Amino acid sequence: MLRASGDRYARQTAADRPGVAQPVPVRPVPAQPWGRILAGMVPLLVLLVAGWEWHWRAFGVHPSVGNTEGLWAIERRRIDAGEGNATVLLGSSRLYFDMQLPVWERLDGKRPIQLSFEGTSPVTAMQDLADDPKFTGRLLVGVAPDLFFSGFALHDGAAHYTRKESPSQRVGQWLAMNFIEPRLAFDDPDFALQTVLARQAWPRRPGRTWYTEVRKLAETGADRNTHLWSKVADDLQYRALTRSIWAEEFVPGPNDPSPAEVLKTQNEQIARAAAAVKKLRARGVQVLFVRMPSIGPFLAHENQRYPRARSWNALLAAIGAPGIYFEDYPELRPDLQGYYLPEWSHMTLADGERFTAALYGVIERDFWGPHATAAPASSGDAAAAPRAMAAR
Amino acid sequence: MVFNSLTFIVFFACVLAMHSLPLGWTTRKINLLLASYLFYSAWNPPFVILLWISTVVDWYAAQGLVKARRPAARHAWMLLSVVANLGMLGYFKYGQFLLDNFTLLVGTLGIAYHPAHYDIVLPVGISFYTFATMSYTLDVYLRRALPARNLLDYALFVTFFPHLVAGPIMRPTELVPQFETPRRATSQQLIFGLALMTIGLFNKVVLADSFLSGVAESVYDSSKVPGTLDAWAGTLAFSGQIFCDFAGYSTTAIGAALCLGFAMPDNFRFPYAAVGFSDFWRRWHITLSSWLRDYLYIPLGGNRHGARRTYAALMTTMLLGGLWHGANWTFVAWGGLHGLYLSAERVLRARFPGYRPGPLMFVALGLLTYTLVNVTWVFFRAKTFAKAWQVLRGMFGANGTVRPILNTYQLLSVALIIGALLLTHWLMRARTLESVIARTPAALVCVAWALMAFAIIIVQGEGHAFIYFQF
Repeated sequence: MLRASGDRYARQTAADRPGVAQPVPVRPVPAQPWGRILAGMVPLLVLLVAGWEWHWRAFGVHPSVGNTEGLWAIERRRIDAGEGNATVLLGSSRLYFDMQLPVWERLDGKRPIQLSFEGTSPVTAMQDLADDPKFTGRLLVGVAPDLFFSGFALHDGAAHYTRKESPSQRVGQWLAMNFIEPRLAFDDPDFALQTVLARQAWPRRPGRTWYTEVRKLAETGADRNTHLWSKVADDLQYRALTRSIWAEEFVPGPNDPSPAEVLKTQNEQIARAAAAVKKLRARGVQVLFVRMPSIGPFLAHENQRYPRARSWNALLAAIGAPGIYFEDYPELRPDLQGYYLPEWSHMTLADGERFTAALYGVIERDFWGPHATAAPASSGDAAAAPRAMAAR
Repeated sequence: MVFNSLTFIVFFACVLAMHSLPLGWTTRKINLLLASYLFYSAWNPPFVILLWISTVVDWYAAQGLVKARRPAARHAWMLLSVVANLGMLGYFKYGQFLLDNFTLLVGTLGIAYHPAHYDIVLPVGISFYTFATMSYTLDVYLRRALPARNLLDYALFVTFFPHLVAGPIMRPTELVPQFETPRRATSQQLIFGLALMTIGLFNKVVLADSFLSGVAESVYDSSKVPGTLDAWAGTLAFSGQIFCDFAGYSTTAIGAALCLGFAMPDNFRFPYAAVGFSDFWRRWHITLSSWLRDYLYIPLGGNRHGARRTYAALMTTMLLGGLWHGANWTFVAWGGLHGLYLSAERVLRARFPGYRPGPLMFVALGLLTYTLVNVTWVFFRAKTFAKAWQVLRGMFGANGTVRPILNTYQLLSVALIIGALLLTHWLMRARTLESVIARTPAALVCVAWALMAFAIIIVQGEGHAFIYFQF
């Protein structure tokens, strides 16, 4: 028994008793005034947590629902629980932050299901919907070129998580959404202790590729109705930080794929998407792609890496249907409508509401409404939408 | 259900409340049993059936053992238990592994065999509860214990939720007697139990999940080739992660049991201050190493039949102990390395029987032990041998000049945490946690507890499963 002599809590373990029946363990309690210790610990803990909460509220953080795969699963399960003919929004952060569900609901009469995920190509989720015979509604797919055509997917496992989520995880999600998240602002991965420490100004290690992690950009509601965090627009320092983070991606790096690799990956993603669309259309699902707005250096970077003619047009040709490219529609253009994208990629809440109404109008008028003028999916005419516009 | 989840907090609060009600002892045991089944089924309800099978088979096997007159009959009942439990374990845990290796083997003989891939779900905790139930039957067979007086006590021994899915692996003689008399935690036990749960969750949620796991992942789950510093940092981070994760779980389990008035055994005793590998295995996952010693190593002959048989028993035990951890040859390599270390230590002890190291050499040998343990962790953590060799080559400077993987913050956090961990283990190697707490001023205990709880809350652990859940 490896104990210093005089240790009254010393005890043997099973390691000290080979080949015999092990006795009931000894589990002593250290001599301390535990009642008083607990009575002191609890208020101290409350004070520490309150201080931490106060700090982040002063930073401009508001309590919001956690943007988790558990929350995504709740929305995804609506399709299998009777809302199979709903309109589903499936894209990356632009379709996620810029589309305002209450506005769509007001115009359409029905609230869409938001399945977009930031930093995530929607193609895997499209395949999941294509494989789900219960989904027979309408699908609006947001295309952010850097993500869609590269296949980059931070939350690629969301559909898999939905299928594998345990009862315990579902209960935990419900408890968090109802009791913790509406009350605590600091309950956000961006403000976790380890994240805060990691983001301090540590010296850079020579030779290591440097990149800055994307900061908190949005706030989420219970049904994943999400909008750009007001701090991104209102706090010039924070806005500058988010812009500088995007700008890091615009600079060519040593690990960047070659143009040939970019094209190969792009074509693979288009093929995946086309196969999913074919399956969806075979059972009557209406699928519409939308290239959401970006501006300034971000737009320039996307046009340089994924020129429209080679990427967007190729996508539409492969799926054999028109889509909405924001620059083709005056009502969707930031330069004409004054939509404010503080960090070149996402709109403020107020402008997101205006944009949602405008986009809905375009969709109903040209694609999904009873008097839609765009060519049907089977025509294979990828340029039908702009010609339809020009004809009016 | 994992300990570090809101679901468990609510569950545990309800269990504590129910257990404190003025109900009869049998009723309270039934409540604990039902709560334990609920705890298990919160992961995947149908797999409770496997728990029942293991429970029922071993209950009747032990009854049969006691009633059997002839040795052959006793032997048969014991074999029934072992075959049923190892059969379940073999199918769910090793089924696909065996099939893949069989396919590979016949492929080398020129036979093209392409079986379907079976997506066999590994029931959480199966490695733990099958060992617990087997120890029940084996102890009865070896006449070390009598069967439990009733099925309720035995079923509760198997399913008692604090130890159900990741140990400590308890023997029936450790837990069943505790169910025979009514018990509730005293206020001191309840509060200290909560403190132990805080310490355990701090280790797991703060140290393992929030600070160390990311560093290990950056090295081991990346396709990048690590240089020397990154290979060592990633491996040291994993050594800290696996200790803090598993010891954290055990401490939380011990605390949870204490809150209900039950005592569970120590499972770790500051293993990174071990000097030599016999010492390491008396400190690391004590309940597993002693289980393997009592039910595998000693029945294989132990050290009673000469050197050759001793080494064979040692290697067999360690290889199988490695395989227990997972269906991958890397785990077998891990176990095999530990077997080699233990064997080499036996040779050295026999060669230098009177050797007693001085203080400096004692520490040096301890650090050497820790270094060699880290070499084994490479195989434990790497998913393939190719990655293991890549990291090992990095650790010993054979990867040449490569681009750094980890950033300054990651390197500093590993250095700080592992440094503190090693220092703590060395200061505590001959002490108990209880003795240190008893000698600490109450105000300091209060502040330390509050700070650990605060850290757990603000790292916002996302409910990462304990590493040993996959075993």
